[in-house]
Amino acid sequence: MSLSHFKHIPKAWTNQWLLRNAVGLQSTCGLHTTPAACKVQSGRYKVTTDRSRPLTYEMANQPCQIAHRKSWNTWNTTSLLDGQREPETVVEDIFIRKFMNGTWHDLFVSEVIIKRQHNMIRIAGIVQQRIAARKMYFLIGYCEELLSYWLKCPVKLEIQTVTDKKSVIYKYI
Amino acid sequence: MIPVVEAASKMSLKCRLFSEFARQQLFRSSPACGLHISATYYAESKAVAEDEEFRTLELGGRKIQRRAQRIQREMPTLPPRYKRQATDQDWGNVWPAPRSFHPATVPLAVRQGYPAKGQAPPDKWGNAELMKIPNFLHLTPPVIERQCEALKKFCTPWPAGLENTEKQEKHFPVTMTKSSYLHSSPSIRDPKSRIVTLKVHLRSLDLDTHARDKLLRLVGDRYDPATDCLTLVADRCPLSQQNRDYCHYLLTVLYNEALKTEPWEHEKEVTDNERYVWQGSPSEAALKVIAAAKGEPVPEADVEKYRDAVAELHNEGEDETTLAKYREAVMKIAGIA
Repeated sequence: MSLSHFKHIPKAWTNQWLLRNAVGLQSTCGLHTTPAACKVQSGRYKVTTDRSRPLTYEMANQPCQIAHRKSWNTWNTTSLLDGQREPETVVEDIFIRKFMNGTWHDLFVSEVIIKRQHNMIRIAGIVQQRIAARKMYFLIGYCEELLSYWLKCPVKLEIQTVTDKKSVIYKYI
Repeated sequence: MIPVVEAASKMSLKCRLFSEFARQQLFRSSPACGLHISATYYAESKAVAEDEEFRTLELGGRKIQRRAQRIQREMPTLPPRYKRQATDQDWGNVWPAPRSFHPATVPLAVRQGYPAKGQAPPDKWGNAELMKIPNFLHLTPPVIERQCEALKKFCTPWPAGLENTEKQEKHFPVTMTKSSYLHSSPSIRDPKSRIVTLKVHLRSLDLDTHARDKLLRLVGDRYDPATDCLTLVADRCPLSQQNRDYCHYLLTVLYNEALKTEPWEHEKEVTDNERYVWQGSPSEAALKVIAAAKGEPVPEADVEKYRDAVAELHNEGEDETTLAKYREAVMKIAGIA
């Protein structure tokens, strides 16, 4: 296929192309681009061949279902118009989540739900009954005491327990 | 004791190969001479290890010993609370304050969530969705009624003589407004709460024509002619109390300035008027001439009509309606119509 097949190419361009090729000075500069990978992956789980991956209700509903099928894990007023302390609240919430997951090690079977009302922080969640009730009472008091000391506001833990991890499973994929 | 140990170390090979069984038997049969025999045993076993027992080389890693599966102890749990609750219990005592949903306490078969394929919506047990949403289980109608009853002793009757809006406006013409903001944060401060708004109806101020005109010029677009309301918003001070004081100050200053007549205000010409005023205009003079020529006074109603028509013509511009009105009024005065 010769260049003459491209009728729409201006003569000047063709000449330039011929000149470059002839002299062997084909330009190497240029912007290498790849198509954007428009892949959305967060909050989505792979389907297994034997459908053995257990999902909770929270996991089974993708982030786009928030406010439709599931609600938020954090409730506060920072995102309202002229809301205050947004960055502080986010960092505190991250800290609370890490602290709760570490203190109640391998016990939480749901997400840690943080609800703020005025200066009160209420932390809710579902916990397995794998440790003695007495230890749970201790952990509740321990978390409330330490978190309220660090965050400088009253903290309340509202824990629900389930006998087995399987009781919060919504479906298998 | 010492000679015994020596004797033991010098024991023959036959003695050393004393079987395990025999040794155990010996232990059992003669508990009284325990010390003697144990000394013999230690010396013997040491000798055996030195002479015959070799450590075996284990190839292929250590064999994993199967451990017996741990038995999960059942945690003793109380039955759910709602099973122990009487049907005529006082719910306000069970759920006195805002709290996340708890399935064992709430005796309702609630369900929440989008159902999975071929299943019912998730029930209340282990349902995090129910724990997320705010509930009003602490504000049931009987509880609200009880709280209102408790608050009643702090209430005072509505003051007599302020039954309707007219009376309220007459006695309290000035309205001050400020907002307080509640956030879900440890701070109770909000910069927006400093803003104070003062509202007053101009009709409740004691103003003559000149003062009213001057006040309107001073306040600009803070006056709403539709509601006859003057609105002053103060947000320049950091505290609402300061802004409130500033609002009062502004109103006082505005009122007193409006009442004043400066020497230069007399220089105002007829053409400087923002609206046409018929009184004292050439039109009024012309009407007087007509009346004198006719020899009889023009009826009051006709004069008013003519006055309004002329003012409208000047103030609203010439269009078909105003011109028709003017024509009609003039013909009536002239006695043609």
